[in-house]
Amino acid sequence: MSSIDVAVREGAQAPSRADRPRAARRWSRGRAAWLFIAPSMLILGVFVLWPIVASLWYSLHDWTVGAAQQPWVGLGNYTELMHDDQFWNALGNTLVITVVSVVVLVVLGFLLALALMGEGWGTRFVRSAFFFPTVVSLTSIGLVWRFLLDPNIGLVDGVLQSVGLPSVNWLQSTTLALPTVIFVDIWKTTGFTMIILLAGLKGVPQEMLEAARLDGASAPRIVRSIMLPTIRPTMLFATLILTIQSLQLFDLVYVMTGGGPVFATDTLVTKVFREGFVNFQTGYASAISWVLFALIVLVSALQLRFFRYNDVD
Amino acid sequence: MNRRILVASSSALACALALAACSGGSSDSSSGPVELTVWTGFTGGDRPGYDQIVKDFNASHPNIKVTMDVQPWDTIQQKLPSAWVTGQGPDIAAPSSDPNVIAQYVKTGSVLPLTATGTRDGQIDTAAFPKTLNDVFTYDGKLYAVPANYATLSLYYNKKAFADAGISAPPKTVEEFKADAVKLTKDGQYGLALADNNTIQMWPLLQWLEGGDIVDSNNCSVLQTPEGQNSLKTWTDLVVKDKIAPVGLTGAEADSLFSAGKAAMEMNGPWAASGFKDAGIDLGIATIPLAQDGDAVTLGSTAPLAVSAKTKHPKEAQEFVAYWTSKDVQRTFSKTTGFPPLRTDLADDSELAADPTISVFASQVPDARLYLPHVPNATQVDAEQYVPMIGKITRGADVASETTSTGAAIDGLTGCTSK
Repeated sequence: MSSIDVAVREGAQAPSRADRPRAARRWSRGRAAWLFIAPSMLILGVFVLWPIVASLWYSLHDWTVGAAQQPWVGLGNYTELMHDDQFWNALGNTLVITVVSVVVLVVLGFLLALALMGEGWGTRFVRSAFFFPTVVSLTSIGLVWRFLLDPNIGLVDGVLQSVGLPSVNWLQSTTLALPTVIFVDIWKTTGFTMIILLAGLKGVPQEMLEAARLDGASAPRIVRSIMLPTIRPTMLFATLILTIQSLQLFDLVYVMTGGGPVFATDTLVTKVFREGFVNFQTGYASAISWVLFALIVLVSALQLRFFRYNDVD
Repeated sequence: MNRRILVASSSALACALALAACSGGSSDSSSGPVELTVWTGFTGGDRPGYDQIVKDFNASHPNIKVTMDVQPWDTIQQKLPSAWVTGQGPDIAAPSSDPNVIAQYVKTGSVLPLTATGTRDGQIDTAAFPKTLNDVFTYDGKLYAVPANYATLSLYYNKKAFADAGISAPPKTVEEFKADAVKLTKDGQYGLALADNNTIQMWPLLQWLEGGDIVDSNNCSVLQTPEGQNSLKTWTDLVVKDKIAPVGLTGAEADSLFSAGKAAMEMNGPWAASGFKDAGIDLGIATIPLAQDGDAVTLGSTAPLAVSAKTKHPKEAQEFVAYWTSKDVQRTFSKTTGFPPLRTDLADDSELAADPTISVFASQVPDARLYLPHVPNATQVDAEQYVPMIGKITRGADVASETTSTGAAIDGLTGCTSK
């Protein structure tokens, strides 16, 4: 409705002989656009929006797929969560994974991007090598690393033993499993972070860098005062994407440890999977999903604020 | 005019896109054979045996065409509950390798009670199945599934490792079993490949050998009883102190450890035999050693085969299930896969008894026990309580306190009332 008003008003403000036809044309163009968007909106509605709303509904019930009765429990699932040690454990693991991997990724990605800004054949090759793991699916990477890290038949421990070091239970030890999973996650995602930040760095105007050099600015000073402020929007994008990805980490953990040993690498999403598809407690699993959703919204909002999103542009 | 056409065509397109996903159900054409789909998770070395059943069925039943879709068990477990409830999905499925999962489908009314039972051709011959298997698939007096297979665990051992350690024969009793495991643990070799997660259950069997158990007949935990604690403590000490097995192995890791010749023994089902032979192990297969009380015991494992309550062809689906479990088909299946026959009337089959692999597994069928049969919330008792408890005690946690807290949690899940 408002679009009609606007169109009419704009038309009225520009008196000319093409007055009415132009307004009509604008409207028709707007409507045609909506019609073209309609199929995608419908698909989004059915496959994205509806499941989100439905899961909220499930989370307020003791919901079992297909059961004759789905008793209403109100916030019962959420209060049960508060007393579920496994939930707090999974939340803690998820936060550790997120904080450690995002910080390391951004720092490492930025340093790599700085080092590999050139366009020689060598740098291009190294850059591709770092980017390569991004192309491979997390599941394959998880499987390969699990094999490499096997304490009895894996390559890593074979190398350790050949130089006289004891073999290490990377994924079977409750203390080492989480750091190992985080390491593989970082190994996989560093290249992706590097490419994003590299794109940002390439956008820093050459004149500014030259001017700074002429003024005698040192390399660290250029990074701190010119590069970092200029790529702030890119930084924001990178940290936001990485944070959301880490909070939702599932496939790598599922393949490498299945959330074990003894829940040492259990994340919120592996917990959701277990409750929903192993224990068939759909309502409870939905409640955990909503807690995760709220967490992601909260963390993203904080990041937008931290990076002063409104000042960007 | 143009706009109207645009509206109509775009909304029609949208509807078509949205509906396309729903209209892909089974074809109902009056001509041609009845089409049945089957989902199973048989991705292992025994897969050719199941493929053969479907192929032979299609050849001998021109009026029915069965298509089997093999996917990992995880995938089936994610899709099947909602698919069956909404009337989608396959006509027939093996929903899990865990027989207890059928309880869930019975609760949601998704599985068809099997009524076409009897001894005639084309009927499901339940009288020929072991009683344990009929019991585990019966709820409120109705049969909801048949065994798609029936396996027992045997003791695989590496003959070369035994010879190197100066042991002439596989262990006959649990005492010999423990002594051999310690003796075989040396020079980077483990005595036993013992998995505790994502595996066929090995720890429950160790407990049974020592006279312990998980729950009693009232579904109340007996982990914290002296017998329960003792059975766990004995084997935990062997793992923690004598280091007879690495801690926290998955089933796949235990298999590769044994295949690599780095473990001298493993308790496993018939599906593992072909992989071990391919790995070049000098392989021996023996019955599970006798328990403390002198009785024979092993773990039995069966995958259920069930029919959707909403199938359009209940008659043909049951005909297929009957064929799957019929005598000749099961004899061929045993020969292809090395599985013991799931029918009692094949127990004395001379052809199967002559096979050295099948005979070992088959000889233990009478002594086999299922894992947590008919225990309420069995999957949670396993995944949330028993498996994590084994994980903790093999990493040094106190057996007494862990069994007490786990036992209380299990009682809560099973609804144990007698206390």
